Amino acid sequence: MSRNAVEWKQTPSFPESHYVDTRIYTEEDIFLDEQRKIFNKCWIIACHESEIPNAYDYRTFSHPGGPPLIVIRGEDMKVRTFYNICPHRGNTLLYEPVGNAKRITCIFHAWSFNATGDCIDISRGKEGYQDRFGCKDAGLREVKTELGFGGFVWVNVDDESCTLKEYIGEAMGMLDEHLDQPLEVFHYHKAIVNTNYKLWHDTNSEFYHDYMHYFNRITGMIQPGYFDRKYTGYPNGHASVGSMAIKYDAYEGSKARGVGWPGLAPGGWVLIDIFPGMTYNLRTSVLRMDTAIPLGPNKLLIEFRGLGLKSDTPEQRAERIRDHNMIWGPFGRNLHEDLLGVHGQGLAMRERTDSRWVIHGREENMTIHDEGGMRHFYAEWSRRMGRKAYDPYGEQAVAAK
Amino acid sequence: MDTRTAITELIHRSGLIMDERDFKGYLDLCAPDYQYRITAYSPEIRKDMTWLEHDKAGMKSLFENLHRHNSDKSPISRHINVCLVDIDEAAEEASVTSTIEVFRTTLDGGETELFAVGKLYDTVTLGHDGPALRSRNVRLDTRLLGYGYHIPF
Ligand code: FES
Ligand SMILES: [Fe+2]
Repeated sequence: MSRNAVEWKQTPSFPESHYVDTRIYTEEDIFLDEQRKIFNKCWIIACHESEIPNAYDYRTFSHPGGPPLIVIRGEDMKVRTFYNICPHRGNTLLYEPVGNAKRITCIFHAWSFNATGDCIDISRGKEGYQDRFGCKDAGLREVKTELGFGGFVWVNVDDESCTLKEYIGEAMGMLDEHLDQPLEVFHYHKAIVNTNYKLWHDTNSEFYHDYMHYFNRITGMIQPGYFDRKYTGYPNGHASVGSMAIKYDAYEGSKARGVGWPGLAPGGWVLIDIFPGMTYNLRTSVLRMDTAIPLGPNKLLIEFRGLGLKSDTPEQRAERIRDHNMIWGPFGRNLHEDLLGVHGQGLAMRERTDSRWVIHGREENMTIHDEGGMRHFYAEWSRRMGRKAYDPYGEQAVAAK
Repeated sequence: MDTRTAITELIHRSGLIMDERDFKGYLDLCAPDYQYRITAYSPEIRKDMTWLEHDKAGMKSLFENLHRHNSDKSPISRHINVCLVDIDEAAEEASVTSTIEVFRTTLDGGETELFAVGKLYDTVTLGHDGPALRSRNVRLDTRLLGYGYHIPF
């Protein structure tokens, strides 16, 4: 039976952990709060070490909490991160996505900085500032940086944060043993979609939507073992999904995968969601890494990386690329569908569309179609935000009094 | 029809026929050893990338599977401009360079947006039955394709 306005708005008859208020996807004030309380507190992947292989190589990164960053490898080969903001009058220091800079010179008034963030020259410094201000007062703002979990460069703009290891905890356990060889990014593309970052992360956290993917239905869903895959939730909002044997050749035009991955069973698939918006997705021969960079409540930039082993022969690499493109490239059979899904959600869940609730009510013993991965995410979201995902403005709490 | 005109028409026809989603018609324009690629350069990782690569059988199975997938249904329009035709009579082959712009027209209201720009690098084989596509590299300048597309350009 269809529902009238009152029924539509009624709180769903589920436990509070099993649904959320759609305003958490649309409201500007909640988004600004997320930048402060989530993105500026959590460890975030900025890039992969293979993107800056040599001394003085840099990569610029737009941090989801706001600050533009420079990730740069020093002469000592250590990777450091700084705000991409000149301490003089706030100009952007580096404009290109990548480069090599022994010396970073601001184009505005030619102040210069080195790869350890020290100011090394202020043009006519002595004449202008006499001894009131000098290079020692003008270093770049450094941001905590750690390399780990497959050679990714992680940053945390909160000086008081825990270590990366503490943040991840046991969450990477299912992948740890598969990530001990040096990796290399062979595919990079990004997509901007009018949707909320949490909806993208949700899609990566649930497999109930395999109904959407013909490829997944054929190679996974109807194969033995599919419904045995289990979710595991970890502290800090991370979650993982266990392996099964994917039957790639069940899809016409697709072959059983020739190159595998160290330690992973043939056809294996491990997926780990890292709070608040990063996903490791190791599917037999390719590691895909998604990083979400929200640009607003209903605007999301996602970076997609495909990685192989640094030691790949040209033939192995070519095969990984083919495997990747079959499902995950911008023209792949799977990714396009996922993006269409969250695009559709963004379209429906704009402000004033009168969307109201999103339901996470499936319980299937925490196996693959259970929506527990999302419930786990929103519990952490609520904890960090000091707001309930099902009642972000405390209205239900007030009404109950 | 002179060879150059026949080649130019082949390239243009390949775009028009794909706009119509006449996939069989497209495959009929291709030689048996056809090779198709979409490539782009990523400054972020300083690498050339291949985003799609298929032989003729691969293209055929891609087309045949399409209706089973959930796809963006907005029509796209490929605007191709053949720029250089380099004919090698002895090898019975030609290299063709064209520019391509792809426009997408929304389902609701028919607003058209520029979707992608790039170049086509084609090899055309010249036989008795007229020219046929032997290889195509769609070299994209555009790397931001939003939620993407299932049908190759
Ligand atoms: S703003 Fe950078 S040197 Fe002045
Ligand atoms: Fe999916």
